[in-house]
Amino acid sequence: MPLWTLFGLRAGRATTRWPDGGDDGQSDVVGMPRFQPERCLSGCRECVDACLPGAITATGGEGEASIALDYGRCIACRMCIDSCPASALTASGDWAFGVRDRRDLRTANIGDGGGDEPAERLRAGIRRAFGRSLHIRHVDAGSCNGCESELQALNNPFYNLHRLGIFFTASPRHADVLLVTGTVTYAMRDALRATYEAMPEPRWVLASGSCAVSGGATAGTYASGRGADEVVPVDVYLPGCPPNPAALMHALLLLVERAEQRVHRGRVS
Amino acid sequence: MNGVTRRVLDPAGLGPACDALHEQHGRMQMAYALERDDGGLEVRYLAAPGSGQAFELWCCRPADGRLPTLTDRAPLLGWYEREMQDLFGLEFGGHPEPHRLVLHEGADPSVPPLRRAAPPGEALPFVRAPWTEPDIDGEDVQRLPFGPVRADVAESAQFVFYYLGEGILHYYPRLFFKHRGLEKRFEGTRPELGVVLAERVSGVGSLGHALAYCQAVEDACGCRVPEYAQWARTLLQELERIYNHLHYFAILADATTLKVGNAQGRLLEEDAKKINARVTGSRFLRNMLIPGGLRRALSGLDGLEDALDPLRRAVERYLAKLNATPSYRDRLIGTGVLTRRTAFDQGATGPVERASGLDRDLRRDHPYAAYESLPPEVTLAETGDADARAAIRRRELLASFTFVSRLLRAVPGGSLRAECRPEAGSGGLGWTEGPRGALYYAVHIGPDGQLGRVKIKSPSFSNWRVFPFTVHGTDMMDYAINEASFGLTIAGCDR
Amino acid sequence: MSVLVLVTACCLPAAFAAGLVAGGRPVARALLLAGLAASVLVAVLSLPSGIDLGTTPALLPGGAPVAWRLAPAALWLYLFGAIGALAATASRSALASGRREGLWYSGVALSLVGAVGTFAVQDGVALLVSWEIMSLGGAFMLLCETPDRDRGMNVLFMLGLLEFGSVALMGAVLWLGLASGGPAFAGFHGAVGGGSGVAVGLLLLLGFGAKLGLLPFYEWFPGAYESGSGATGAVLSGVVLNAAFFGLARGLVDWTTGQTPGFAYLVLAVAVGTSILTALYAFQQDDWRGLLAFSSAENGGIAVTLIGAVLVLRDAGLSQLAALAWGAALIHLAGHALAKSGLFLTSDRIRRATGSYGLTSPGIARLAPWAGAAVVIAGMSLAAVPPTPGFISEWFGFQTLFNGFNLDSLSGRIALALSGAGLALTAAIALATFVKVLGLGLLGRPAENAPGQTGRRWIAVPLLAGAVLVLAIGMPCWLAALDTGMSARFGHGASELMRAGWLLVPLTPHFAFISPTKLAIAIPLYALVPVIVVLAVTRMRARRVPVWYGGLQERPGPSATTSLTFSNALRRYYSFVYRPRETTEREHDTADYFLHRLTFSYEDAPIFGPWLFSPVVRTVHWLSRGFRALQSGYLNFYLALIGAALMIVLVFTLA
Repeated sequence: MPLWTLFGLRAGRATTRWPDGGDDGQSDVVGMPRFQPERCLSGCRECVDACLPGAITATGGEGEASIALDYGRCIACRMCIDSCPASALTASGDWAFGVRDRRDLRTANIGDGGGDEPAERLRAGIRRAFGRSLHIRHVDAGSCNGCESELQALNNPFYNLHRLGIFFTASPRHADVLLVTGTVTYAMRDALRATYEAMPEPRWVLASGSCAVSGGATAGTYASGRGADEVVPVDVYLPGCPPNPAALMHALLLLVERAEQRVHRGRVS
Repeated sequence: MNGVTRRVLDPAGLGPACDALHEQHGRMQMAYALERDDGGLEVRYLAAPGSGQAFELWCCRPADGRLPTLTDRAPLLGWYEREMQDLFGLEFGGHPEPHRLVLHEGADPSVPPLRRAAPPGEALPFVRAPWTEPDIDGEDVQRLPFGPVRADVAESAQFVFYYLGEGILHYYPRLFFKHRGLEKRFEGTRPELGVVLAERVSGVGSLGHALAYCQAVEDACGCRVPEYAQWARTLLQELERIYNHLHYFAILADATTLKVGNAQGRLLEEDAKKINARVTGSRFLRNMLIPGGLRRALSGLDGLEDALDPLRRAVERYLAKLNATPSYRDRLIGTGVLTRRTAFDQGATGPVERASGLDRDLRRDHPYAAYESLPPEVTLAETGDADARAAIRRRELLASFTFVSRLLRAVPGGSLRAECRPEAGSGGLGWTEGPRGALYYAVHIGPDGQLGRVKIKSPSFSNWRVFPFTVHGTDMMDYAINEASFGLTIAGCDR
Repeated sequence: MSVLVLVTACCLPAAFAAGLVAGGRPVARALLLAGLAASVLVAVLSLPSGIDLGTTPALLPGGAPVAWRLAPAALWLYLFGAIGALAATASRSALASGRREGLWYSGVALSLVGAVGTFAVQDGVALLVSWEIMSLGGAFMLLCETPDRDRGMNVLFMLGLLEFGSVALMGAVLWLGLASGGPAFAGFHGAVGGGSGVAVGLLLLLGFGAKLGLLPFYEWFPGAYESGSGATGAVLSGVVLNAAFFGLARGLVDWTTGQTPGFAYLVLAVAVGTSILTALYAFQQDDWRGLLAFSSAENGGIAVTLIGAVLVLRDAGLSQLAALAWGAALIHLAGHALAKSGLFLTSDRIRRATGSYGLTSPGIARLAPWAGAAVVIAGMSLAAVPPTPGFISEWFGFQTLFNGFNLDSLSGRIALALSGAGLALTAAIALATFVKVLGLGLLGRPAENAPGQTGRRWIAVPLLAGAVLVLAIGMPCWLAALDTGMSARFGHGASELMRAGWLLVPLTPHFAFISPTKLAIAIPLYALVPVIVVLAVTRMRARRVPVWYGGLQERPGPSATTSLTFSNALRRYYSFVYRPRETTEREHDTADYFLHRLTFSYEDAPIFGPWLFSPVVRTVHWLSRGFRALQSGYLNFYLALIGAALMIVLVFTLA
């Protein structure tokens, strides 16, 4: 008759200290492509043709400004990297792409009105009130279950989300954050909206995964929506396909202002 | 299509053909519809006559959009026929449950969505309407609708229980909340980009889907995949099997309230995912496959065996410990019994069917990739309860480790990929045996050389149909364990 | 005083007569109310000393006049029963209407006359007559309300079992009369002892037990109560039950003294068995009346358990503890009468709101919140939740039983300890039962077509609930009413034994105490803080959202807990008692994989029906088939029988 408790005690500590130093667990993981537009060949559209979700678009500008990249649609499939003849797009280990403003995921040459303001909204006191105790209600609005797999991994002994004071709850009545994955299919629109309405204020929304940010690879079919912000107002956007657990933790800490945003105007700083 | 025998039947011949198939102990696998270039519809039925024999593809043209139902002979075709009803507007005369399946009640498309005439990118008009439910008569019976937003981090689906406080009288799962219309999304895409979509049908089955898709496209263009690529594909499929089975045991331990068992299982799954990242750069083994072979070589192969060894030993200890825990075994034995007859009739696949005594495994019966030269060991059980399903997966998990070691000892040389350009109008069938069961992709290339019709049959689609038959008449307390013992995904089913 | 007695004595029989006459309904009702009110006043004014009502002519020729005297215990029990009957009569909620309502009032009047007789007469023959009148009154009330044959069979079953009890009672009275030389009760004290005492005690137990619902007689309760209305139930479970209990208690404690302790243990066993079984069956009912009927039998069983304890303790010489048990029994039935009447009248209101007596969720708490609160108080009393009289009596009861360690004999200690354990089990199941009643019967959402108010405003139930609270909070004062009676019987008064200032104590305050009086002050004070918080919070802007079901809007009706789903766990656990049978019919299309329709029904088996009553009935049928041979139809056979009879007469006269 095995004593699981004893087994657990003898196994010791498996949790990483990240983000307070230590291993983030993603040392081999390839993240979003790094874009160096100065290397682009003029008139080359290979990456645009290779991008399935349409994250890379031709702007009609000249030289460096001719290709625009929207990380919100990027599914990190690396087809663009494989097809680029000039190594303007290269594989990188950048995955901490959580941002507050959707515009920060687009390279600057996407004209979308509005100024260049940093767009980091400050919510007074969010860190004080929720910095050490945040409850999340997750809604799967039509994902491929990759995001769910990484979200479930957040509670494994390696990441152990509870040590940051962040928990998943069963009822939206107890939740502070609505974490949406998936493109919001036609059948989940009312359920997602109802979940949002069922949450008491103050409440925030985290769109996790490229599907929730913009619709990702599957956007725009008869059944599939184009992201969570069509249905609920989104506070933090986290692209990735799927975003790995460390990226998820970073985005959650960003929400309660315990971490800094790393991506501005499509550039990793 | 290679390895597949084609037969053309007319509607009246479907029934007798089905009867003949059953007489030779064969089984129907799936059915799908497609729109031909001339605008007419054609329905294809995939049949498996028996082990060792090639698949049969029956092609049938409906008369006036109607076909007789085959559900009375092969109940497993019930869902496929309803799917064709919803997405193509076909009618199957005599179907016992001609209700909406894939599109919810209240969805009102002007043209069936998968027809070419359907306006592309137009959202489905939808006003939620009450569902068709069986007539449950009894004022003492309570109806519990659970979902679609369920507790904890879980996929969206609604489960409806008719129960009496403890005993479940009737149960049915309402799926397809997550239906994204992926099969439509494939249409018009370049075949070499289609693999990106295939990987995103079901995240935890990324590699299986990508592999089946690539094999279908390779079948359509008749190309031969290099040996190194075949070898690598097999290695990756077994790595996917490993982390999926570890997740399964973690969830099963959680369902039987072994918290430390759950934590240990999740930790082992995390180690397996890290190994995936080490080999491919992706924790889900994505971005590696392309029709014709691989996109890039596997990395980190040198120290891989040393990395896998401690994991294997930890897994062996973990599984032995679980097996020796009486509370865990006690809650699995006798729970959710799936009889052999129901498993056969309703189309169970994968460990679920092998636990009920049906001896079928695509890796052995219709080998692909490197399985032709290295057939895997297939385990079988008879009792059909949750314990048997867990036992099958336990043996598969340990066998996967052994298999990977064998593969790592003999790395072949060769190129990464071969040329693969399918011609317009061609078609192919690809399949894999994933951790959850048999996965099929039928790929048809359109007249412009881009993808035309892509049909995805995921193992979870088959097994979700089977699952309710193990729940009727059982207790609520056993439900979570039973569902965990099936280990199904919803994204694969809903697409 | 004598005026009030006269009013009562005239009004009740007059009400009976008026109800029989066509068009006499309002008159009957007025007379009944007047008579009840007068009798209540008599009772209040005559406690604690009791009252002598005079004599009436003898019933048997050559006998002594029948004396009528109401002992303090009788007055106490009658008082609370009469309050319940008053509320029931005033509520006009009987199922009978028109002409039949007049007959119903006649039935009530009959029951009351019989009950008063049972309480007051001091003569064996008169007791039997009053007993029969009381049974007849009950049958009258029920039959007025049920027009159909099947329900009528239930009333017949009730009468049959009550007749069996009457025969046993007749036997006991005859025996005691023969032993004491006359039918007057004065002579019954100590008339029989030893083995005869046990036999008489057994006959009394059977006789009064048939009405109280001791096993196996409780089986007529659900059928009979469910044939009538809540008002009938209030009368049957109030005055009539109390009368039966008084008869049994007086009989066992006063008339049969000095029996073997085995008899007391038998009483304990029967009573505890009754309460456990009836509590279990009460929990499974899905009809208000059936549930409350079984609960009445359960409470009767608890009171008889306490009488059994009285017997054990008195025979061991612990008269103070015996007095404590006696007092506890009286308080128990007092609180029970009030609360049970309240709940029965609630069930009538529910029927008016929803059309049936079933335990569905009618949403009364939303329609009439204050009345709902009153119902909760009544339910609390029956579930023995402080600070109600039900709690007080259960507490005293447990204190008595667990004080059994003062006994010398081991068997006595074990008997009392086991009774205490049985009582604890009963209390637990009763608590669950009343949670079920209050939860299913009050909560939920009113149906869309429910009237905004359930008819006229509720008065009766809130008043009864108020009476319950007054009884509990003022208990240290009301105990004085029992002083004289208990001193006469046990040598110590209630005020001396059961209270110390404002505390209620079991003989001494050093062992344990409770104080509903102080609780009634403390609870509102403690409630001040949350009330202030609530008032402050309600000033905050609230956003109302639909109930969370998992994302979709669901109809609340089919998802609501039903009576069966609430009780199903206990039903499975005690399946050896219930022997439940569930029938699930499934209809399929094509293969049996595609369910088209499912029909579910269930049944629980009673215990004594199949194992005692059916065999008895079968035996009687068998015997009658045998005796039918005498009805051969042949003239010669009859002549032969006459001849044989003549021969036998000849033999006897010549011998």
